[in-house]
Amino acid sequence: MWRFLSTRILMGALTIWITTILVTLLIHAVPGDPVQIMYAQSQGTTPEQIEEVRRSLGLDRPIPVQYAMFMERLAQGDMGNTIRGGQPVLDVIMQRLPNTLVLACAAMFIAVLIGVPIGFLAAYHKGSLTDVTLMFVAIAGISMPHFWLGLVLLFFFAVELGWLPVSGNGWLNLVLPALTLGLSNAAIFARLTRSSMIDVMNQDFVQTAMAKGLPKALVLRRHVLRAGLLPVVTMMGLQFAFMMGGAIVVENIFSWNGVGRMAVEAIFQRDYPIIQGFILTFSVVVVLVAITIDALYAVLDPRIRRS
Amino acid sequence: MSVAPDIDVTKAPPGFLWRLVRSPSSAIGLVIVLLLIFCALFADVLAPYDPNKMGSGGRFLPPSGDFLLGTDEFGRDMLSRILFGSRITLLVGAVAVGISLTIGMAVGMIAAFRRGWIEAILMRSTDVLFSFTETLIALSFVAVLGPSLQNAIIAVGVAGIPFYSRTCYSAALVETSKPYFEASIAAGARPTRMVLVHLLPNVMPTMIVVATLGVSTAILAAAGLSFLGLGAQPPTSEWGYMLAGSRDYINRAPWLMTIPGIAIAITVLGFNLLGDGLRTSLDPVERK
Repeated sequence: MWRFLSTRILMGALTIWITTILVTLLIHAVPGDPVQIMYAQSQGTTPEQIEEVRRSLGLDRPIPVQYAMFMERLAQGDMGNTIRGGQPVLDVIMQRLPNTLVLACAAMFIAVLIGVPIGFLAAYHKGSLTDVTLMFVAIAGISMPHFWLGLVLLFFFAVELGWLPVSGNGWLNLVLPALTLGLSNAAIFARLTRSSMIDVMNQDFVQTAMAKGLPKALVLRRHVLRAGLLPVVTMMGLQFAFMMGGAIVVENIFSWNGVGRMAVEAIFQRDYPIIQGFILTFSVVVVLVAITIDALYAVLDPRIRRS
Repeated sequence: MSVAPDIDVTKAPPGFLWRLVRSPSSAIGLVIVLLLIFCALFADVLAPYDPNKMGSGGRFLPPSGDFLLGTDEFGRDMLSRILFGSRITLLVGAVAVGISLTIGMAVGMIAAFRRGWIEAILMRSTDVLFSFTETLIALSFVAVLGPSLQNAIIAVGVAGIPFYSRTCYSAALVETSKPYFEASIAAGARPTRMVLVHLLPNVMPTMIVVATLGVSTAILAAAGLSFLGLGAQPPTSEWGYMLAGSRDYINRAPWLMTIPGIAIAITVLGFNLLGDGLRTSLDPVERK
């Protein structure tokens, strides 16, 4: 088990390390002069000021030196300052990251709560009309763009019925974005749960349990559900990354004040320090969640726990 | 969506097309995809108006006989815009998947064929990129290159590479361990011949399924970028971009929101159904 986990942790550390390199290189991949582009929108910047910024960002140094400087500052928790406003990037991100995490977790909760029972039901009635109908609904759900689902929900619940606020950051405001993100992922969970349950149902130990004459409900609860949910747990790790990605769009629809909305604004404003900080934060969160899920998986799966 | 199809790639069984069409859901998928291609090919003939001409009719006209799908905030005909939008959608799907597929297959096949340190480097970096998630890769690309439809397509294509390399790698690995492959090594076949004549045709069925499903992922991703304003720019009749504009008129003209959304959903559904159907009809286990 520890070997399994230490490889995962090592892999995660490698990912974050490579991210730091890519993030340093990012600004050099920009066609043209990044400092000019960043300040293109603000009037009255003198050439001296531009040189000053170039120096403060370290862009006048060789790239390896820049990387060393970047890492040294990062080690002290300094991700630089935003171009517009000059606030520390880390503060700006930390202020908004909780909002994104709350949204992603709420969406994950909805997705699992809806998707897993549907998948289980479909697997239980495999080949029946229920199965076919549920799976058609699921594939239709996967095909629906979540940004459109968001607009439709916004239209019905906020505009037409007036039950929920259109935008803002209270608990009621969480309902629509979480539902948008959750529903589109519920379909993925439903499909995965179904195929995983069917796999387990065909395995020898389940057939044996059935042959012994155990009641079907007991076999399902004790054997099929427990074994079949393992791949779903693994999937949650991957899905969380998708949720974080989906949050970028959903936050923009509902003006939810998270890091996704911040990142898109930063791309428009060419605020590269924020973009760098966002990419780094995003990959750290995704890696941490993946490792946590792997640890959970290792504890749940006796084949790994006892290895 | 990210579950690699489990297919015995050795032989596409006979009567494959018939089996594909026999299943109602994949038949629906095929019809949708063909219809989309038809719309894209004949958009100029089918469209009643110029898609970008402002004031073809009054502003915000609801769907009627003259304007079947209504008009938008500039009085442009929605039906014509949707029809021309199908071209962009298909182009996005084809080019983005083309990028992911070509590079992904090259990486996957080389890794499986060469083994050793080449395999280690290629597949480890694929793993790292994979954990970045496609959204982050695409967003980073757009952040560097700047927002435009072309850059969005490149971004989505590049973002898909890790998934395609992984799938192709596992399919190719199965092939390289088969007796015929070892036999042709023993017979002295050259590496290029091994890859092009033996490996490529045998991983192709798996990759076709992945690519078909991948078209829907790519279309969704690119439409999402355009929705955020990071892809297609005005006055393009790209569906995601059209949706973004509809938000401001959600009360006044709800059809501006429903129509492009339905267009995207149906298109993506079509490729998903077709891909699922292809998988089932190529997979000997599911076929039973």
